Amino acid sequence: MKTVPKLIRRFVETLIVSSVVLVVVNIVLFLFMVTRFEPNAHPYSSAENVAAALTKQEDGYRLSKEGAGILAETGAWAILIADGSGQVVWSQGPLPEGIPQTYSLAQVASLTRGYLEDCPTYPAAAEGGLLVLGFPAGSYWKHQWPSWNVELIASVPRILLTWIICNILVIFLIYLAANGKIVKSVGPLVSGIQALARGEQVHVPERGLLSEIAASVNRTSDILLSKNREIRRKDLARANWIAGVSHDIRTPLSMVMGYAAGMEKEEGLPEKFRRQAAAIRRQSQRMKNLINDLNLASKMEYNMQQVKTEPVNAVALLRRAVVDFINTDPEEKYPVEWETPDALSVCRIMGDPDLLSRAIFNLIQNCVNHNEQGCTIYAGVEEKEGNCRIRIDDDGVGATREELERLAGVPHYMVCDQNTREQRHGLGLLIVRQIARAHQGSVEIGASVHGGFSVTIVLPLGLS
Amino acid sequence: MNHQYLKNKRILLVDDEPELLHMVENILQEEGFTSIYPAASVREALETAARVHPEMAVLDVMLPDGDGFSLMKKLREQGDYPVLFLTARGEDEDKFTGFGLGADDYLVKPFLPRELLFRIGAILYRSYKGENPLVQLAASQVDFDRAQVIRNGEIIPLTAKEYELLSALYRNEGRIVTIDALCEAAWGDNPFGYENSLMAHIRRIREKIEENPSHPQSLLTVKGLGYKLVTEDRR
Repeated sequence: MKTVPKLIRRFVETLIVSSVVLVVVNIVLFLFMVTRFEPNAHPYSSAENVAAALTKQEDGYRLSKEGAGILAETGAWAILIADGSGQVVWSQGPLPEGIPQTYSLAQVASLTRGYLEDCPTYPAAAEGGLLVLGFPAGSYWKHQWPSWNVELIASVPRILLTWIICNILVIFLIYLAANGKIVKSVGPLVSGIQALARGEQVHVPERGLLSEIAASVNRTSDILLSKNREIRRKDLARANWIAGVSHDIRTPLSMVMGYAAGMEKEEGLPEKFRRQAAAIRRQSQRMKNLINDLNLASKMEYNMQQVKTEPVNAVALLRRAVVDFINTDPEEKYPVEWETPDALSVCRIMGDPDLLSRAIFNLIQNCVNHNEQGCTIYAGVEEKEGNCRIRIDDDGVGATREELERLAGVPHYMVCDQNTREQRHGLGLLIVRQIARAHQGSVEIGASVHGGFSVTIVLPLGLS
Repeated sequence: MNHQYLKNKRILLVDDEPELLHMVENILQEEGFTSIYPAASVREALETAARVHPEMAVLDVMLPDGDGFSLMKKLREQGDYPVLFLTARGEDEDKFTGFGLGADDYLVKPFLPRELLFRIGAILYRSYKGENPLVQLAASQVDFDRAQVIRNGEIIPLTAKEYELLSALYRNEGRIVTIDALCEAAWGDNPFGYENSLMAHIRRIREKIEENPSHPQSLLTVKGLGYKLVTEDRR
C-alpha cells in the first residue's frame, strides 16, 4: 500500500511548484502594470528637473522652457523658498489660494513630508533655496511616515520564510479538509484493485466520494469470479468426459485383451493365428496405456490431480519400476541393464511415488513402443549438482536431430490451442513433462550413448 | 500358480458384465481352478455366498444393484475371506490404498489373464499358507509351516530373517523381487542401508537350499535389481 503516501507527496510537490509559479507570475504582472503607469513621471524627479531648470538671473529667477513644459504637462505649480529668510522668492503655475509666502522650518519639514493645502508637495534643492513642486490635489498619495526598525529589515528573510511555510501549511490543511475523504476512500480501492490483479475475490465498501468506482471494482470482481468458475466448470466437464470415456472402454478392452492373450497361448491354434492374437494383445495393451495417459494428462493439465510430497528414494523407485516392467514383459524382448552406481543406494527426493513411477513406466513403455523388434533398455539414477537424475536409455532406433528438436519445441495437442495437425507426438512424454514440472523438475531428451533414445528426469534432491 | 490345494478353493466371482464373467471363469478353469461360482448382481452374490461359503471373492466395484464395497461388507458378515477387486476406474486406487476397506488387492481393468492369476494366487497363498505343503526346489524342499529346508534327507532350520526373505520370494515366485522390497520384508518400514546384510542372508539361504551355492538354480540374482525364486512347478 504505497499509493496513498505517493498521492500526498505528489500533491505537495504540485502545490510548491504552483505556489512558486504563482508568485513569479504575480511579480511579473505587477511590474508590467506599474511600468505602464506614467513611465517617467516620478514626482521627486520632476521636482529635481524643475529645480535644475531654474536659474538665478540678475533680475530674479528664470525657468527654462523644459521646466515650464513639465509644469504645464503635469498641471503642477512651483515655488522657491529662499535660504535663510524662508520667503517665497519665485513662483509659477496655478498656485492654490492661501499658500503662505513665508515658511518656518517646521512648515518646510511638513511640506517635505506631506501636503500643502491638500496638494502633494515635493522638494528639491535649487540655486539659492528650496524648490517645492506642488501637484494638483488628489493626483498623488504620499506615505508620510516611511520608517522601519533596522532589526525588522534584517529579519526580512526569516519573516518571508515563515510566511511561505505558514502559507503552505494553510493550503495543505485546506487540501486535507477538502480531499481527506477522497484519500481515505482511495485506500480500500487501491488494495481492492491490487487484490483483483492477484485473482482474489474483492469486496470494497461502497461508501464515500468514490462509491461508484468501488461498485465497479466489486462488479469486476464478480464478473471475473463467475468467468473463472465457468472456465473451471468447462475444464472439469472435459476431464470428466475423458475419465468417463476411458472408464467405459476398460471393460470391453479387458475382454479383447483377455481373449487375445488366451489365443496367443493356445497351442492348438496355427502359428499364424497365435501371432495375430499376440498383436491384438499388444495393441490392446497400448490402448490401455493410452487411456491411462489420456486420463492423467487431462487431470494434470486442469490441476485436478493431487500431487503428494513425501520422501522418496529414487533408486528404490526406479528399481521397482524396472522390476515391474521385467515381471510383465512376456516375450523378454526388452532386457533391462541396471546402470546405477553400486555406491548409490539412496537418492532422496520429495515427491509423489505413484506419479513418479508412472513417469518412469511411460519412459520404459516409450522404448517398447518405438522398437517393435526389441531393444535393450538401460536404467540408472545419478546424483549431480544438487539434482537427482533418473535416466532411461535404449539402443534402439533413436531419433534424428530434427525429431529431437521437434519433440522439445512442439506442444502436444492436449495442451495446444492452435491448429494441431502436426503436433501428435506421444502422450507418454507429455505426462512425463507434466509430472516433472509438478515436482519442480525438468526433462532432458537426447541421443543415448548406447545408440538409441535417451530421456532423463531431473528432480531437485530432497533433504536427507 | 503352484499348488493344487489352492486351486480347490471356492472362489466367488461377481461382475455385471456376463461376457467378462464368462471370460474370467474360463481363465480360472484353464489354470486348474475347480470351484468357481459366478454371480451378476449383489443379490445373486449374497445368495450364492450363503449357499457355498466361498474362500475367496473377486468383485467388480460397479454392480447394477449396489457397489462392490458394500457387498464386501455384507459378505464379511458371513465369513472372513480375502477379496480382490476388479475396477474400471483408476481413481478407485485411492480407496484401496486408503484406509480400512479391508480389500486384499485390486486390479484395474483392462488386465492380462496372467496378472489376474498371479494376484489370485498370491492372495490365496497369503491367506491359506498354513495349509501349505512342501515347496519343491531344484535341490531341496522348503517346509514353510515348520520354517525348515529338507535337502538330501537332512532337515535344516531357517532363521526368522531367512524365513521372511524366502516367503517374500515364494509369494512372488517366478518374478523378480526388488532389493528394497526384500529389505522391507525382513527389516520393516525403513529399510535403508541393509543391502549388505541382505546379500549375506541370501548367501546363507543359498547354502541351505542350493546344491552348489556358487551356481544357484533356484534363488537367482538379477544384477542391481533383486532376486527371483524359481520352483520346480515352473520348470
